[in-house]
Formats: sequence, C-alpha cells, structure tokens
Amino acid sequence: MAYKPQYGPGTSKVAENRRNQMNPEVKLEKIRDVTDEDVVLIMGHRAPGQAYPTAHPPLAEQGEPDCPIRKIVAPTEGAKAGDRVRYIQFADSMLNAPSQPYQRTYVEMYRFRGIDPGTLSGRQIVECRERDLEQIAKDLINTNLFDPARVGIRGATVHGHSLRLAEDGMMFDMLQRCVLEADGAVKYVKDQIGVPLDKKVAVGKPMDEKWLGENTTIFHVLGGNPYRNDAEYIEYIQRIHSLRTKYGYMPKE
Amino acid sequence: MAKIERAQKLFLKALKEKFPGQDVESQKAKFYAFDGVNQSPRKKEFKAANEKIVKERGIDMYDPERCHLGGVPMGQRQLMTYEVSGTGTFVEGDDLHFVNNAAMQQFWDDIRRTVIVNMDLAHQTLQKRLGKEVTPETINEYLHVVNHAMPGAAVVQEHMVETHPALTDDCYVKVFTGDSELADDIEPQFLINVEKLFPKKQAESLMNAVGKSMWQCVHIPTSVSRTCDGGTTSRWSAMQIGMSFIGAYRMCAGEAAVADLSYAAKHAGVIQMSSHLPARRARGPNEPGGILFGNFADMIQADRKYPNDPAKAALEVVGAGTMLFDQIWLGSYMSGGVGFTQYATAAYTDNILDEFTYYGMDYIKDKYKVDWQNPNPADKVKPTQEVVNDIATEVNLNGMEQYEQYPTMMEDHFGGSQRAGVLAAACGLSTSIATGHSNAGLNGWYLSMLMHKEGWSRLGFFGYDLQDQCGSANSLSVRPDEGCIGEFRGPNYPNYAMNVGHQGEYAAIVGSSHYGRGDAWSLSPLIKICFADPALKFDFSEPRKEFARGAIREFMPAGERSLIIPAK
Repeated sequence: MAYKPQYGPGTSKVAENRRNQMNPEVKLEKIRDVTDEDVVLIMGHRAPGQAYPTAHPPLAEQGEPDCPIRKIVAPTEGAKAGDRVRYIQFADSMLNAPSQPYQRTYVEMYRFRGIDPGTLSGRQIVECRERDLEQIAKDLINTNLFDPARVGIRGATVHGHSLRLAEDGMMFDMLQRCVLEADGAVKYVKDQIGVPLDKKVAVGKPMDEKWLGENTTIFHVLGGNPYRNDAEYIEYIQRIHSLRTKYGYMPKE
Repeated sequence: MAKIERAQKLFLKALKEKFPGQDVESQKAKFYAFDGVNQSPRKKEFKAANEKIVKERGIDMYDPERCHLGGVPMGQRQLMTYEVSGTGTFVEGDDLHFVNNAAMQQFWDDIRRTVIVNMDLAHQTLQKRLGKEVTPETINEYLHVVNHAMPGAAVVQEHMVETHPALTDDCYVKVFTGDSELADDIEPQFLINVEKLFPKKQAESLMNAVGKSMWQCVHIPTSVSRTCDGGTTSRWSAMQIGMSFIGAYRMCAGEAAVADLSYAAKHAGVIQMSSHLPARRARGPNEPGGILFGNFADMIQADRKYPNDPAKAALEVVGAGTMLFDQIWLGSYMSGGVGFTQYATAAYTDNILDEFTYYGMDYIKDKYKVDWQNPNPADKVKPTQEVVNDIATEVNLNGMEQYEQYPTMMEDHFGGSQRAGVLAAACGLSTSIATGHSNAGLNGWYLSMLMHKEGWSRLGFFGYDLQDQCGSANSLSVRPDEGCIGEFRGPNYPNYAMNVGHQGEYAAIVGSSHYGRGDAWSLSPLIKICFADPALKFDFSEPRKEFARGAIREFMPAGERSLIIPAK
C-alpha cells in the first residue's frame, strides 16, 4: 500500500493550517507580487542580472560517473548548471506569524526539491542551488507563508521572534532591515544580512490581526488558538512519547 | 491533566522591576530609543575601564559602538536587569558571567580542590603493620599536623620552602565519622559534626551509612588547583597526608609501609568529586565533565537547610548546576566565549522556573495528594507512563501559557533554548518529586520537549534535534551505552555531552527524586557530609544567594594574590 502522508494530527485551526501548508496538493495562496529582481536584492547574494556564479562546471560537461542514484534522481536546474549553494533565512514572530520554524522546514521538505533546511527557535534557514533558491524564495515571500510585519528575512542578528512587537506592529529587528512606511507598506532598506540597499524594496502591507489569527500555525492563548484546546494533538504527542519510551524507535502496540 | 488555579505569580515582581512603568501583559513595546549600551550601568563601567586600559597598554579593546555589527551597538531594545531567583537581589546580566563573579568561580574552585580520603586503611596499616597505637588523641595530633602541612608547610624535612599562610588560608582538612563516641573525642575545630549540621532523620541515616569509618575532607589551596588542575587535588592531598602520617606517627620516611599510606591516599581510599574523561575530552579527575549528577545533587545542601521544601532544594541545584555545567563546563572548557551564560541564567533568574515548579507542586498535591512539604517515601505516586505523561503535560502546558500571557516574560527568555530548558525542568522536577524516581523525572523532561516543539513549532538550537527528540527512547533505559539510572548519568553521558541548558537541570531532577522522599542523600553520603562544612568559602546550602552576592560584589573569594603583587 502506498504511503499516504497525514501531515500531522489535531482538530484545531492551527493544525489544519499546518496540514494545508505542508500538503503540496493544496495550492499556496498568492497574496503579493514581489518581483524576481526584488527577491534577489533582499537576499543579497548576487546583483540582479548578474550571471549565476558557479561552484562546478555544468553536469553535462562534467562527465558524470555511471551511478544508479544519479539515474533515479533528476538534478534540479541549479544543480545542472553548477550553481553555488546559497540561502534565505526567516525569523517568525511567535505572535501569530503565518509560518514557524519547524513548520517551514516541513513545508519545504514536502514542496521543494534539493533543499537543506535548518531549524532553530528564532530562525529557519533553507539552503539550495542559487537559481532554485530564487524560485523557492518567491513562493516563501509571495504567499500565505509570509507576513511583512511578523516575518523577517534575516541572515544574521535575527533576534526578535519572541519579543513584543514595536509600537507600529513590526517585529523587533535590531538592524531595522525593513520599515513600515507612511503608505502602509513594509519596505526593505537593507538586505537580509544588513547591508543597505540602493533602493527600497516593498514587500506589501502587513496582514490584519484577523487574517493572522486564522492563518497562523502556532498555538498561542493570546493569539486565539490555545494549545490545550486541541486534545487530539496533545494525545498524539503523549502517544509518540510513550511508544518511544517503551519501544525505542521500533514501536509496537 | 486539568488546569488548576494558582493566583501567585512568583515572576511578577521581577517583570515589573525589569520593565518599569510598562504593562507586563502588553504585546507592544518601544524599541530603538535606549541609547544602546549606555543604558546599562555595567556596560558604561566597561567603557570607562576600557579608556584607561587602552591608554596604559596602547592596544584597542572594548568598543561596542564600533565593533558590534558594524556600528549598531547592542541595546536597541531594553537591556534588562535580572533578579537572582529566590534572593530578591537584582543584578546586571554581565555580573552573572563567571569571569565577573567571584562567587561562581569559588563555587567551582571549592569542588575542584576537594577530595575525600578514607582514614581506616591508613589506620590499619599503622596498627597492624607498624604496631602503632591509633587513638582519638593520635588522630587529633595527626589533624594538627596535616592542617599545618596541607597548605604547603614542611613536617619532616629540614630547610624547606613553604607557602605563605595568608595565600592558602582556604586550605584545611576536617574529618567525619558515623561513630558518635569517636566524634565526641575529635577536636571540634577538625570535625564535621553530622548530628549538628543535619536534621535529625537525615543525620541518623548518614551516621548509619558511614558507620565506624572515618573520612577526611581535604580542600587544597584554591591557588594550587587553579594553577594546576583538578587532577592535582588528590596528588597534592596525598603527598601532604603521607608526610603528615610520617610526622605525626614518627614513621621512617623511606619504609615500604609509606607506600601503603600513599596508595590509600592516592587511589584505594580517595573519593574524587568526578571521574576522569576519555582522551578525546582529555580532562583529569575533579573536572566538571566527570561529575555524576547524583554526586552533584549531594554537593548542594539546600535539602539539608530546607528539608520541607524539595522544590526549593531542587531549584538551588538547577542554579548551581547550570552555572557549572553550562557556563563553565560547556561554555568555557568545551567551547569558549560569552553566549552560554544566558542559557544558564534563564533557569535561575526572575523566579520563572520557580513559579512553574511550584505550579507543579500544587498540581501533584491537588491531583495525587502528594504532601510535598512533608517529604516521605510513603505518598509517592507509582511512576507509570500515564502518571509521567499527566504531570509533565499539565506542567508544560501551564508554563507555555504563562509565557504567552506575559509577553514580557517571553521577551525575558528570548531564546528558545532558554524556554525549553525551563519548561522541561519544571516538568522533570514535578514528576521526580511526585514519584521519587529520577528516570521518571527525566522522562517527564522529554515529553515536555516534544510537546513544546509541537506547540510552538520550535525548540532550541540545532543540538536539541538530537538530545531532546530522542530522549524519550533512552530515559528509561539502563542498557550500557544507551542509558543509566539518573544518579549515575553525568555531563559526559553520550547524549548529554554537547547541549547547553540541560545538565544542571538533569542533576536537579535526580536530586529532587530524593528530596521528595526525604532521603538524606542522593548518591553519596560522603559527599553530602563533606559539603555541609560551614568552613568552606562557598555556602553550598545557598548557591543562588551566593551567586547574587558575587554579582553585587559582596562575596569574598579565596586564592587572592594581593599579598604578593604591587598595591594598586
């Protein structure tokens, strides 16, 4: 019988949002339209229009060894071309940001190929070949996985995910890489590592509280989604823990 | 699991002091307007000190305006003060780095410079092999001699160099025994009086455990163990013990029986505070990585001073353990730098872990009728998986909800590793105290970690992916290389060897399983008695209070060199 992913337990809205974000059969909702050029500017790995720097010659020119794995796994476009591996890193506010570190990793693992995500409490990084990254980054920024105020694109000094919000509703960022402007749009004035940009890059208006509460993937009593209320989720974790305790990683019941 | 009412919030005072004039339940705050590091009196002091140093040595040093992130100094948000939990003392975060805190240094110095040495083996050699009489009088004479010799004075040879008493005044030897009559005959200055220092029931257990044996607690000079290492302690001690026996009992300095005394003092009869580590970690005995959690729980004496509050006793172990294992062991021996301090301090500042743990106490009393303020083995709950899951789930959910309801508390513990350690510790301590079972407590810890990770979709740094997500599978295992009972686990236990924010709490989980039962010790009655000694420089019954004294610069350490250096 073919494996059918369940994308996690739970009866709550948070659990449902998590499943929908992970499930590649559910289309991510496109909310904004940050251009290719602007995504490249925010990431700061290359100048827009610049050729992709390479780490090795294109695979076609390399003389690949006769390898059964290579026959099974088709290379991504970036791998084919020999692109460098680069990254985008996000900081997600615990105050109802739409995606959260482990959730991001699960989403990326289900939806994208050739990636290497890393998950911490205050940030989540995904690394892959540069041209593949730019496509993935567009999805991560332009859809319901992102909010201009509660999600930060931050390569270093990511501090802010657990802090109170600034008076204008923006997540704290010591480097203030992006600012909420008078027109209501959030604009990046520095790239993800904190280098000032020559032009401001708009990433749209912050989503409202109602949307954030309905689309978040974090349980939070003040955010309207108490963890305690999702009994199925709690029971599932207890069950996993009990099985691992009793049987290690070979659970039997 | 079901939430219980608890009106008291032990962390509120700290939050209000840390964020003065602000609503501690608000989700909004003012940022970017604090004048960077200049908002902190301590960092201003650093800057002033730096100016003087740079003038004197001609080499640049502390310069946060230039060197922090290319000109953006830290302090774009409020740099908080911290209340050392359970003390009411507010300190600067910087003052809790062990370099800036003499009490923290002395805490570790006092452990590293200590060995416990059996006297029975030496007495048998003296009596049976050499025909010497051993009486309370001769033991007292020996103790006079060894207290002369141990700091570094000569007892046998002529024309010897010696150490200055004022540089080694922290060095001494005391004895203890389970034989009341013998104890009565030992000069009080040399005796650790178990019956006086411990509550009656604990004293009886300890006296029975020690029996007729006699042990000497040796504390070599702080300056010696600092200049050398922990492995020196037993060597320095054994050399001076051997010479003192020769002097006190008028032995021949070269006779073969001396080798028996040396062997007893160096090997057969010596209790190290920790075992040596494998070559890849390359540390001798009496270094932090080899301290068994059960032994560490015995070093801390809060259960002796507060026998009716196992939660407080455990929280003192958390404070002491996170300081030693996170700040000094992992943070400096094994790594380096300053980042580790704030992993550790989260567990012993602002009464946050205290509040979560006392919630656990209320819960186990309410649901399981555990009379935790009257520790005894009789009302402990059977440590079934269901009980562990129930207690850990409720305590964890409560902690997460508190963080959510008080955004300033979330901001206080701004890193996921901080919150993970604190939440899991509260679960582990509550489970341990309820069941009297250290491995059940560890199992509660790991359920907390899984629950935390799923609830907030985040946990700690990368290391947590290993240790805490596979911990369920080893917390009740005692198979070699996979597990052990909690008392015999330690900082170098395979899965524990890399992760900050865990080891001190594990030691407390182990200790609390015994504190909850009213046991007199967790693993070693000898270590329990040794660190009850009020003559030690550091008061092991109040580690958090001592660290606070260190932070406000009121703690007087040992090993100072001012006598032999130019006056400033």
